[in-house]
Amino acid sequence: MQINYARREISCKMVFYGPGMSGKTTNLEVIHQKVPDENKGEMTSIATEGDRTLFFDFLPLDLGKVRGMTTKFQLYTVPGQIYYASTRKLVLQGADGVIFVADSNPKKLDENIESLKDLSDNLEEYGINIREVPLVIQWNKRDLPNAMPVEELEAKVNNVGAHTTEAVAATGEGVMATLRLAASLVLDRLNTKDGETPPLTPKQAAQAAQAAGAPAAAPAAAPKEEPAAAPKQEVYVAKVGADAISRTFFLQYCQMQYRLASRESDVEDFKKFTKEEYRKFLESLINYSLLLQDAKKRSIKPPMEKINAQMDAFKKKFGSKEELDDYLSKRRMSIDALRNEAVKNEIISIMIQEVIPNINERMKITEKEVADFHAANKAKFNNKPLEEIKGDLVNLIKSAKKRSALEEFYGKLRGQAEIKIFEDKL
Amino acid sequence: MKDNKLRLKRLVYYAEDLQKIDKLLEEFLKLSNAKCVFLIDKEGHMISNKGAVQQINAETLSALVAGSFAATKEMARLLGETEFSVMFHQGSRDHIHISIIGDRAISATIFDEKTTVGMINLYAKELSLKLEKIFDIAARRVVQEQQVEADYSESVKDKLNDLFKE
Repeated sequence: MQINYARREISCKMVFYGPGMSGKTTNLEVIHQKVPDENKGEMTSIATEGDRTLFFDFLPLDLGKVRGMTTKFQLYTVPGQIYYASTRKLVLQGADGVIFVADSNPKKLDENIESLKDLSDNLEEYGINIREVPLVIQWNKRDLPNAMPVEELEAKVNNVGAHTTEAVAATGEGVMATLRLAASLVLDRLNTKDGETPPLTPKQAAQAAQAAGAPAAAPAAAPKEEPAAAPKQEVYVAKVGADAISRTFFLQYCQMQYRLASRESDVEDFKKFTKEEYRKFLESLINYSLLLQDAKKRSIKPPMEKINAQMDAFKKKFGSKEELDDYLSKRRMSIDALRNEAVKNEIISIMIQEVIPNINERMKITEKEVADFHAANKAKFNNKPLEEIKGDLVNLIKSAKKRSALEEFYGKLRGQAEIKIFEDKL
Repeated sequence: MKDNKLRLKRLVYYAEDLQKIDKLLEEFLKLSNAKCVFLIDKEGHMISNKGAVQQINAETLSALVAGSFAATKEMARLLGETEFSVMFHQGSRDHIHISIIGDRAISATIFDEKTTVGMINLYAKELSLKLEKIFDIAARRVVQEQQVEADYSESVKDKLNDLFKE
């Protein structure tokens, strides 16, 4: 990494590593295709006739100015073939992050293992432990009919506890997600001192805690005695249009919803749910995703100032950052999840007002409705007279109406969207 | 070794160093009559450049120069040398002269018929010695912490999400 204060520039080097023909160059080509013109330079490829990378491929990316610093990522691939060992080592020099592209073909298992070992050895020669370097393993070619299951790859290849992603580089699927993950790992490093292993971010810590404490859903490979090293693979539970819902996020969401609903804020244990309950949470999360997507289409933006103010007020309740972190981690919540919740509530109230036809008409409650409701549910209210509980009844009816209006709206959104639920991942 | 590892990991250049470096590069261009000069670290990031560089894709050039320098190092190893300190590529109009500076940087000079490879070689050697001193002083200086704004990383991540979409 070069930090150049004179030029106000930060430049990071990312290297795509992996066995021959695993799709490293394809990854780079997809990135070249997808990044807007003004943010990328020319892609340079030093390849042999047979289309195999001889020396390296190179693609510079320019994010423009961020906080006054021009930010650049330089992407390199190394040649995968065994006989280019020395070139591989050279390209690796000074790498800030490594993306290891692994082939899901069962026939390539040994090559994957060998190549990861080679990466580890080469890093070692530069005095770097493979576990210290920001590393993402991409399980590529997931579309192969005989692709090895991810769990098996995890167990047999990922013995370094690296972050992992899934991809089909040939169609572009998962490529940008891999790059984003690797880049954010590199950036997390920036705030730590040289030579120091960065502490787990609160999010990572929460993820690790969840992976260790999560019910049957937790990957069997997760070493329970050392949750911090648990593999943090991205598994998706559902796909809603263009968005995918990761299991980590989903589990966090369930815990959060449970605590918000039960108001038992002191529950410290990881709450386990039945399959049906998970399913219910997932349905509500899908609704939320649809709502956000629709809000985006209508260019409805959440009032960030209001939300920021809400968040600030929440944070102010705590004396120090440690207290806040403690509070959140005890409840298996993250500040991001809380913020999401606030955004959701704001968007729902805006959408209800703006989008649902004649909402105000529908929300009107007549005396007769209240009286009928009271008559029908008398027993539930211990036969208290209407006048005594009228206020509560009105609120109940109101929220029921709001719910049914929302349900109707969600139903409409669902009709238009493509939704896939991966039952086996729940 | 530990120190070496640290330096491999992160290179920081401050404005005061760059001012001195730029002055040396300008001096070098005047003396050698070259078209332009690039200063590149061994990892392939450009540190600075001077002269008529507009037509040249500086980033790719930097990456390739660092790469080919590293490759010749392997050649040197095969001959029992540690590294070759100078490389020269001759074109029909423009030529490039590459020379190493200490153990962390490389200069790449582009020149044409207005001067000769001998002149470039002579002044590049001088330049190397002077730059090496600056790098040495810079490397020994205690790095000030937190010069990058605290929320820089988070801001970049937001931007990444924006730009690196599926």
